[in-house]
Amino acid sequence: MASFPKGRPRPSPDLLEALRAGKVALRRQRERSELREKIRIVLELQRLCLPLIERRRPLADWERPWAITP
Amino acid sequence: MPSFADALRVLNDMKGSGVVEDYAVAGAMAMVFWAEPIPTYDLDVLVFLPEDEATIVSLAPLYDWAAGRGYKAQAEHVMIEGVPVQFLPAHNSLAEEAIERAVTLEYEGVPVRVVRPEYLVALYLEPGARTLKRRERAAALMESSALDRAALDDLRKRFGLEP
Repeated sequence: MASFPKGRPRPSPDLLEALRAGKVALRRQRERSELREKIRIVLELQRLCLPLIERRRPLADWERPWAITP
Repeated sequence: MPSFADALRVLNDMKGSGVVEDYAVAGAMAMVFWAEPIPTYDLDVLVFLPEDEATIVSLAPLYDWAAGRGYKAQAEHVMIEGVPVQFLPAHNSLAEEAIERAVTLEYEGVPVRVVRPEYLVALYLEPGARTLKRRERAAALMESSALDRAALDDLRKRFGLEP
């Protein structure tokens, strides 16, 4: 097990809060994306994720990247 | 190559031809309308089937309608314009209300009925369906700016859903 030196500097609450706020802002930005862009991302995620899922288990016949345009 | 809008047009055709009384996109694809896009591999569609004398709900007429247009069924999905679509007859009063209160949005000029985010969360919180993945989706939706918290609280209270 790795051991960490005592007294390692910790991020301040303000920094943590800023980092969390940044995540929320990014999420809001993605939420507001054009629907067509969101569908394009879903299609891209399918192409990325399905090969990874297939390493763990066989895919069902319908689990294929959709052959469509956004 | 077909487009996502082509698949949505077919849903509207189904409603227009009476093979379904009404429909609403649900599940992860409905989330895409309200929140961040997430990986998903099929399109869930809640449906009201036409009422008839039969006591057992059957999707056979819907599958027959689809087959007549060249959309094949496989493993409880219908391949519509390149999209595997799963049709889910409304299974309880919450699902019925989710269809009735769905909002009509537009995708590339095509109107599409989409379950409101509060109903998506409520459906994810149903006791029989609380998988880790569904709880994660509910949590993501609850952070969405599109969510009406008061409406969700009302649904939780009326349908006895645990947070």
